[in-house]
Amino acid sequence: MIALLLSLVLAQGYAPPRQGQDPLDAEREARVQRVGKLLRCAVCQGVSIADSPASMARAQLDKVRELVTEGKSDDEIFDYFVDRYGQWALMEPRKSGVALAVWVAPVLMLVVGLLLVLGSMKKPVKAVAPADAPAEDDYLAQVKKDLGQ
Amino acid sequence: MKRAAAIITALVLVGGLVFVLGRAFGTDPHAVPFKMAGKAAPNFNIKRLDTDEIVSLASFKGRPIVLNFWATWCGPCKVEHPVLDWAASKYGNDVVFLGIVFEDTEDNTKRFLKENGWSFPQLFDPKSTVAVDYGVSGVPETYFINRAGLIVKKYPYPFQHPSQFEHEIQEIL
Amino acid sequence: MNSTLGYGLVLLGLLCAAFAAIVGIVTGLMRKESALPWVQRGIYGYAAAMVGSNLVMVGALLQHDFSVKYVSQVGSRSTPTIFTIVSLWSALEGSILFWGAIMGLYLFAFAFIYRREHGRYMQLSLGVMAAVATFFAFLIAGPANPWVHVPNPLADGPGPNPLLQNHPLMIIHPPMLYLGYVGMTIPFGIAAGALLRGELGDAWLVPLRKWTLVPWIFLTIGIILGSWWAYAVLGWGGYWAWDPVENASFMPWLTATAFMHSTMVLEKKKALKLWTIALALASFVLTIVGTFMTRSGVFNSVHSFTQSDIGPTFLVFIGVLLVFSVLLVALRGHMLVAETQLGGIVSREGSILLNNLVFAGLTFVVLLGTLFPLISEGVFNEKLTVGEPYFNKMALPLGMVMLFLMGVGPMLPWGQADTKTLINTAIIPGGVGVVTSLVCFAFGYRGFMPLTTFGLAAFVTVVTLRELLLPAQQRMAEQKESLTTAIFVSASRARRRFGGYVVHLGIVAIVVAIAASSAYKVHSTGTLKPGASLKVGDYDVRFDGLERGKEPHREWIAANMTIVSPGGSESKHHGSNAPRMNFYERSTDPVGSPAVSERVLRDVYVSLLSYDTASGSASFNMWVFPLVGWIWYAIPLLALGTLIALWPQRRRQQVAAEAK
Repeated sequence: MIALLLSLVLAQGYAPPRQGQDPLDAEREARVQRVGKLLRCAVCQGVSIADSPASMARAQLDKVRELVTEGKSDDEIFDYFVDRYGQWALMEPRKSGVALAVWVAPVLMLVVGLLLVLGSMKKPVKAVAPADAPAEDDYLAQVKKDLGQ
Repeated sequence: MKRAAAIITALVLVGGLVFVLGRAFGTDPHAVPFKMAGKAAPNFNIKRLDTDEIVSLASFKGRPIVLNFWATWCGPCKVEHPVLDWAASKYGNDVVFLGIVFEDTEDNTKRFLKENGWSFPQLFDPKSTVAVDYGVSGVPETYFINRAGLIVKKYPYPFQHPSQFEHEIQEIL
Repeated sequence: MNSTLGYGLVLLGLLCAAFAAIVGIVTGLMRKESALPWVQRGIYGYAAAMVGSNLVMVGALLQHDFSVKYVSQVGSRSTPTIFTIVSLWSALEGSILFWGAIMGLYLFAFAFIYRREHGRYMQLSLGVMAAVATFFAFLIAGPANPWVHVPNPLADGPGPNPLLQNHPLMIIHPPMLYLGYVGMTIPFGIAAGALLRGELGDAWLVPLRKWTLVPWIFLTIGIILGSWWAYAVLGWGGYWAWDPVENASFMPWLTATAFMHSTMVLEKKKALKLWTIALALASFVLTIVGTFMTRSGVFNSVHSFTQSDIGPTFLVFIGVLLVFSVLLVALRGHMLVAETQLGGIVSREGSILLNNLVFAGLTFVVLLGTLFPLISEGVFNEKLTVGEPYFNKMALPLGMVMLFLMGVGPMLPWGQADTKTLINTAIIPGGVGVVTSLVCFAFGYRGFMPLTTFGLAAFVTVVTLRELLLPAQQRMAEQKESLTTAIFVSASRARRRFGGYVVHLGIVAIVVAIAASSAYKVHSTGTLKPGASLKVGDYDVRFDGLERGKEPHREWIAANMTIVSPGGSESKHHGSNAPRMNFYERSTDPVGSPAVSERVLRDVYVSLLSYDTASGSASFNMWVFPLVGWIWYAIPLLALGTLIALWPQRRRQQVAAEAK
């Protein structure tokens, strides 16, 4: 779930925790955190650079701050990391190529499932005679029956 | 007929699942992909630890470069220390050797260098910005840059034996 | 000595389980019901041997007998006694051994409670369960043997994984999960037995339902405690990250929950038989897949504490289980035919079918998302990540539909709904829901998702409370009973229904907590000098300086701080209550632990990112999480509801008979 403090691969000693940059102004910092949430930390175990307390993750988040300050767009920031680590760097796969399957398959599955469910139900008959419908909740009926005892 | 088809489909799915899970045994889930091979080595201007002068990658244009990322707290880095010293003495005339210390403090590093000595220039990357630019994902890592200034590959393990280094460096000579 | 005894018991257990499995399945298929006592004896023997082996291991841990391989891996003389006992499940071999004991207890309980049951129902089921037990006993005896003898033992060991020593929750979280995982063996056995036999009568259904509910509640508690632990220990300010191992525990929970709902349709309408059985099978198979994910080292996760060579063995087992289940369903499924026609979609059964669809959909999302990186790398040779944002995006809409169905389902009658009645029953809860959203909006809360969630939650709460209290109200009116008596009596008349609705209320609390804490959390980060403060939400956090401390098994550096409430009241978090970095002898990286100031309505959460002893300054991550604690506070409600549903019905009838 989480990177322990610094899980640089092969680390044997322990790295001195290093302080990161100060946050940017509120609006740009919000963007930094949002984009950071979508980028995978290079030295952690499946956590984003915004979530990881690892020192390297803070260095990567500082890079995002730098790119935001330079006025780069979100996609340009993503590309910077994809250039280095490939699609692996993105916390959610892009909706293209092979990865499209992971977005489309669940939707397909739900649609097929919905059709199956609807198919197994009785077709709604218009203007059902009211007498046809159960007059009462079975539970209340049970309660009534109990009370009648 | 219909039922047989359903069974076969289900079994194929089961087979696929087991195949995918089985394939995964051969791979290291912690391995981080590296896509900088073939791309231009990012430039940097950082301080050299012994002389305090600013070193720029651009100043070595036209020469092959070996970049070694390491830190004093990392055990395997100490293991490869003698191998790199040996390599620098053998190839140093032609190839530029640079060490980059990251995720560490300047004091620690200076003390370490005083005690152990290094035969090639050591640079200090105080905020790991160079490491991020190069896509470093562990320590130690060694990058091989050719005469055209392109990253040829990285070696994300410690060099334990000179022959390993000999093998890796051939491509940039 | 310990090694020999412990290993001998494991071998004995393996023999007993294998015996029970073979006798149970063979005689069951031959319909020789006289062999049942032998199956039971085999199971009792297995249970006794496994529990015995575990006791010997606990003894060896307490004696620091480092000639046992497992003790030499996780034992240490400096570890506090409680963590020494807990280290039984702190690493792979021990946890599989522990698993064997839980399996023994479950099988014993099941075989014993139903000892008078006819062989027709029991033999095949017990045989299948014993077969699963055989696999685990084999694992303990072979690939994951904790009892290997160390010829020249060292004087001391490294101690258990530091993460496990960091918080008392780690003492109960794993056993809860194991109780959940292992317990799914029982419904699997029952379902497989029913399919092998080719019939599914009411006699199968009652134990199937009850024995799914037992592991279900343990799994639920285990998952929630796990998230609480992650929140309180790991310091990243979250409780759920859709990590492969979390997903592994979530999938069987989803299918088991779906099962609990579809079983109502099965009972009422004698339909959905095959689907319900398939859910029971799937729940078990998914627990095994989950164990594989945790233990094989194939997934990148903080939970894969241990990487070992049991992976391939497990994979073979998964393959066998899947093929067995598929063939069983395919070859015997047609014997389980629906006996009645389901009503329209706007009906109780319609809502339950939709509920099952959503649960199945979410299970599929989680399974696909977790496996997709492996598929992508194994088949297309491209490494990619499917992380938290993906799962959140997919799960959110599905969760909303579930919440909606949770309110609509109980309002609908079986068969066919009458529009007029439906509108009449919906108008009050619907109104309350809309008003709730509007009130939240008026108080300045924004965002479509959280406001909709609050509205739906209010809607569900009103529907559920009405279902819970209406019968009691009627009794009060007609019988002049007091409120408590009326509730008690009406609840005992329909335990499962009453219990189910109590669980629903607990789920609503969790959903509200998740929505509020993720939508309205406030985050601050910064570096502070001693005496300086950082604002997070309405709170000021003042840094009071660094402090060093030492305990027998660790050293730590704490960043002392004081939380100043908007009212001006201060709460000090110094020393062991402060956000800290802990240094364990065995671990090379410090393990951070945050300071959480838990309040009913919001938590203030501070974690230490780094410190500089030279200047005395420290960097922090701070959050205010509204309502987050409700996720864990809901546990008692969930447990209570489950207990009500599980409470044996017979006793009530006796009491009622006596009363007459």
